[in-house]
Amino acid sequence: MNAGPNRVGQSGLTYFGRTTASISHELKNALAIIKENAGLLDDYLQMADKGLPIDPARFKTVTGRIADQITRADGIIKNLNRFAHSVDEPVKAIDLNEIAALLNVLSQREAAMRQVTLQVCPEGATIPVTTAPYLLLTLLGRCLSICLQYMGSGKTLTVKVTRIPDGGRIEFEALDAARLAAAANFPGENETDLLNAVGAEYHLDGTLGCMAITLSNR
Amino acid sequence: MRVLLVDDETDLASALAERLDMRGIEADWVNSGQEALECAAKSHYDLAVLDLKMPKIGGLELKARMQALYPHMKFIFLTGYGSEKDFETVACESGERCYLVKPVEIEDLVRLMRELTKNRGNSQ
Repeated sequence: MNAGPNRVGQSGLTYFGRTTASISHELKNALAIIKENAGLLDDYLQMADKGLPIDPARFKTVTGRIADQITRADGIIKNLNRFAHSVDEPVKAIDLNEIAALLNVLSQREAAMRQVTLQVCPEGATIPVTTAPYLLLTLLGRCLSICLQYMGSGKTLTVKVTRIPDGGRIEFEALDAARLAAAANFPGENETDLLNAVGAEYHLDGTLGCMAITLSNR
Repeated sequence: MRVLLVDDETDLASALAERLDMRGIEADWVNSGQEALECAAKSHYDLAVLDLKMPKIGGLELKARMQALYPHMKFIFLTGYGSEKDFETVACESGERCYLVKPVEIEDLVRLMRELTKNRGNSQ
């Protein structure tokens, strides 16, 4: 029996579970802030009912916090929606910049928890590749998690998208990428299956300090 | 009662602290485990309210470190976990039982705080 497809499916589900759990946690935080600040406004009104003055500046600060969190929650839900639609078509033509941008928004919380600054640098122009978008996202998410897990707090992880002849390349620039990959035994069986499923190649450049995933349209 | 709120969401911690103050509970707030340890070294607190998931020092680790330093202190966890069942799994591993799931009801939090600290004088 070929374990490959099962492992790919399991990797995809694991990434789905981890990502949606992170999103739901962030959404909960936004809702908690809205609830607490709405409660604070209610407290102010109850004070006013008892004849105590309300400070308009305080009121404005609190309503501003609520508006900010509604904007935040709206952004989180938009990202969740983009993530959900990444499974619409098993294989399709995509822009690598868009996948990298989605990876960025989905991973910011994980980076923050690790105290790593995550920055994604897209290519100026569209980089079209035909691949399995959700599985590519799963593979890139795995690369990113390994970098975050092993690189240590206080550092910056740069994800760079570049065009190559007939395709594109996504680089994870971490100073000690070779050590990270060795520490994580990367790519293992799961990642190798994902690389095959999306038609990509993995490169490690210890000198430049980057892990790279290359996709070709050939 | 004097409490320390520890949550990396500033707009949550500050609003919660203000609401607790209005209910006669003196509350300070900080955004990280490190700040909490520094704050607790300078002031006396009866109870700490800890966010479970925070960068660097998470709520469970912070509780262990603070409890070692301040054995009198009581702890309540706030968690953004989707369901209480999820948190029970985490909680059972460390033996913790005192938690509320965000978004919390302020009166539930106050009630739990008063329950945890009501016998403090007798136990010391």
